Amino acid sequence: MSSDQELIPMLQAKLGGSIIVQADKLGKISLHVEADAHLDVLRLMKAADEKTAVSAITSVDLGDKLGVLYHMRTSHGIITVKTELSKENAEIASITNILPGASFHEREVFDLLGVSFRGHPNLKRLVLPETWPEGVYPLRKDVNAASVQQVSPSEWSQTGNEEDGNLVKVVIGPQHPALLEPEKFTLKVEGETVCDVEPRIGYVHRGIEKAAEGRTYLQDVYLVERICGICNSCHAVCFCEAVEKILNLEVPPRAKYIRTILLELNRLHSHMLLLGHAGLEIGYETLFQYMWRDRETVMDLTEMLTGNRVIASAIAVGGVRRDIRESDVLTIKKSMVGLRAKMEFYKQLYHDDPTLKMRTQHVGTLSRKDALDLCVVGPVARGSDVDIDVRKDEPYEAYGEIPFKLVTYTSGDSWARLMVRLDEINESIGIIEYALDNLPVGAYRVRAPRIVPSGEAVNRVEAPRGELFYYVKSNGTAYPERVKVRTPTFANIPAFVKTAVGENVADVPANFVSLDPCFSCTDR
Amino acid sequence: MVVGLDLFFRVLIFPGLTFIGCLTMLCDWFERKIEARIQNRVGPKFTGPSGILQPLADFVKLLAKEDIVPVDTKQLIFNVAPVTAFTIILFAFCFLPIDGSTVIPGTSFQGDLIFVMALITVANFLLFLSGWASVNPYSMLGAARVLTQFLGYDLPLLFLALCPAFLTGSLSLTEIVAHQTIPFVVLIPWAFVLFIITMQAELEKDPFDVPHAESEIVAGYETEYSGRKLAFLKLARDTQIVFGAALVTVLFLGGSSGPVFFGANAVWGTLWFLLKLIVVIAISEYITCLFARLRIDQVVSTNWRWILPLSLLSLASTMALAFWVYPAVM
Repeated sequence: MSSDQELIPMLQAKLGGSIIVQADKLGKISLHVEADAHLDVLRLMKAADEKTAVSAITSVDLGDKLGVLYHMRTSHGIITVKTELSKENAEIASITNILPGASFHEREVFDLLGVSFRGHPNLKRLVLPETWPEGVYPLRKDVNAASVQQVSPSEWSQTGNEEDGNLVKVVIGPQHPALLEPEKFTLKVEGETVCDVEPRIGYVHRGIEKAAEGRTYLQDVYLVERICGICNSCHAVCFCEAVEKILNLEVPPRAKYIRTILLELNRLHSHMLLLGHAGLEIGYETLFQYMWRDRETVMDLTEMLTGNRVIASAIAVGGVRRDIRESDVLTIKKSMVGLRAKMEFYKQLYHDDPTLKMRTQHVGTLSRKDALDLCVVGPVARGSDVDIDVRKDEPYEAYGEIPFKLVTYTSGDSWARLMVRLDEINESIGIIEYALDNLPVGAYRVRAPRIVPSGEAVNRVEAPRGELFYYVKSNGTAYPERVKVRTPTFANIPAFVKTAVGENVADVPANFVSLDPCFSCTDR
Repeated sequence: MVVGLDLFFRVLIFPGLTFIGCLTMLCDWFERKIEARIQNRVGPKFTGPSGILQPLADFVKLLAKEDIVPVDTKQLIFNVAPVTAFTIILFAFCFLPIDGSTVIPGTSFQGDLIFVMALITVANFLLFLSGWASVNPYSMLGAARVLTQFLGYDLPLLFLALCPAFLTGSLSLTEIVAHQTIPFVVLIPWAFVLFIITMQAELEKDPFDVPHAESEIVAGYETEYSGRKLAFLKLARDTQIVFGAALVTVLFLGGSSGPVFFGANAVWGTLWFLLKLIVVIAISEYITCLFARLRIDQVVSTNWRWILPLSLLSLASTMALAFWVYPAVM
């Protein structure tokens, strides 16, 4: 936190009394500023630290006002810049000219809470369907079901149907073999070259943020796990940690290690799924079949530890639900040795296979500067030589005590992003082995009260696809006031839009799959 | 010249329509099974012994499905292309000496090699037309890719097919088979390897299956097809694959002549032919499983930079062999 402690006095010196600095119990810093003064703050923060990026933009209904919270990620942690707007005239300057990656975040806030961002290049609906009426914002507290009258299809805003000369529109999605989940990407194509990409998400939006407000914290743990099947433990841990921060609850060390093991199993499972799926996208079915066969080992271990293959439901506020048995430790270690040997083979394959390299190298190249500007996270950032990883930057659970290497590649293409994941699998195996060798003894769970005192917490976890962000605000009851989730894929889609332009249509799947897109996550 | 019932039998049952149909189904099953085993899967299993009837079941199922024709399609071409493509490939089969002579005995002529090669080109062109008539972005891209690919690979394929012709001094498939006391794969292995690779491109199989790269353009030119037309389109493709393998067998592996002669040529010759055919299909399937799909521009540049010069080179070397070395040895 050293550099953040230098940053705050610098900001105060330059901006005078227009900012109020607050630090919560755990040392998280938040800055209160007037509306539109946030631009200066963000500009200065970006100038001081090139890795400053927007993690998420949360808007909260505060009764007669709307709070807009900019959660800024720095090299060492997260700083929240808070502003307040009146509900009637909810307008604020856009930060897209400082950080172009904020575009998607702002569109989502515009869509769900009705904050209008002045100067945004493309402030259009992002997640709500075309049939949703104008002026009804689902995440505001005063919205009621009766006001949601469906707009008939004939009154839909007919945007994006204008003729473009000799450009052919190739629509990928909502149903398409390259996508496992429904989302739409309209490619404007000239010959075989992509000229423009128009993403449209929201096809499986389930309103989980809203649903979480109507359920207790206990129920919400199960709810957030269902945001994403693959990284379910990450979501549960991230939510539970946020609640534990508000409760000021210390989790027993054994629980921390067990959580770490579960998180790393999630990562193994997710990375192997992707590396196989990448094979399928570039027409290499044999690789896909092999990788998914070996991934079964990880699924079996998850089942052994938690009783479930996919949605583990093993995390609870205050610890974990199940202990690890002595016999399980031996089984996991044995499997890890086998897995490590297999990964050697795959690594060699990704290094040597000529057709695989032809399809992934120099495809979707994202420069380091673009990666920083677009605020990308996880393996996508690390493939472009941006060394960010929440496990290192702000260690949670047992990661502070476990040695592991942060993997980065410099070329920034699809191949680099896949290689980052291959190397991370090896690191994950190392982490699991270390955690098993050094498993502390003691309780694996402490009791947590059901009623949470009022307060708010920001929490981040390094999910397999990148930084996962949660903001939880409580109002002193058993129900949360606001739960904000920003998933890694949501932050990474702008990178695809940027890199796909100018590419061959045939490269689109190879480029896209290297982001490890998860739309179930994206559409909470 | 055979007349009457015997001719009908040859055309309709063996080695004509029924035999080729069954052979296609069998090869399709074999292909799927071997691909599955390479990929650590089981493959077809439940329909018939070891799932051998699965291709037939798939075909019949498609025949029974609803046949949808989108409004905007060019109706005539869209409707006619699948069946015509199938028929043309079937017609090309008539000139292959499966059991030692062509389907209609005595129809073999000087130049039927060229004729057969032309027929495959026409069949490929019909596949392109079927996509073009669909008026669907995916189909259009798929069709354009078929055309790009086969314009490139037709030329090397023809050059390589001429290599055995130069060795025998004849353009008749039956004579090429008759001359192979030693299979040509032993004499000109480089042409054989190149021919297999080029065939892979001609038959749109990995690493050259760009015209129906499902992750990019759904099913390519097949996207708008359904029901009966799709059934015939698929059958046409499968028959084309078998035809490709059969052509390799005839040109390079000595067709129906085997190392040992037991008795009636009609029985043993066909068995040898089938055995060789299966081997060729296994090789082709092995290549399919081993590589990722190339991009269309990579396919084109591979062709013009490597395959075409190499095939010209192998044609030249075969000519040299045929004129100076071969006569001296034999």
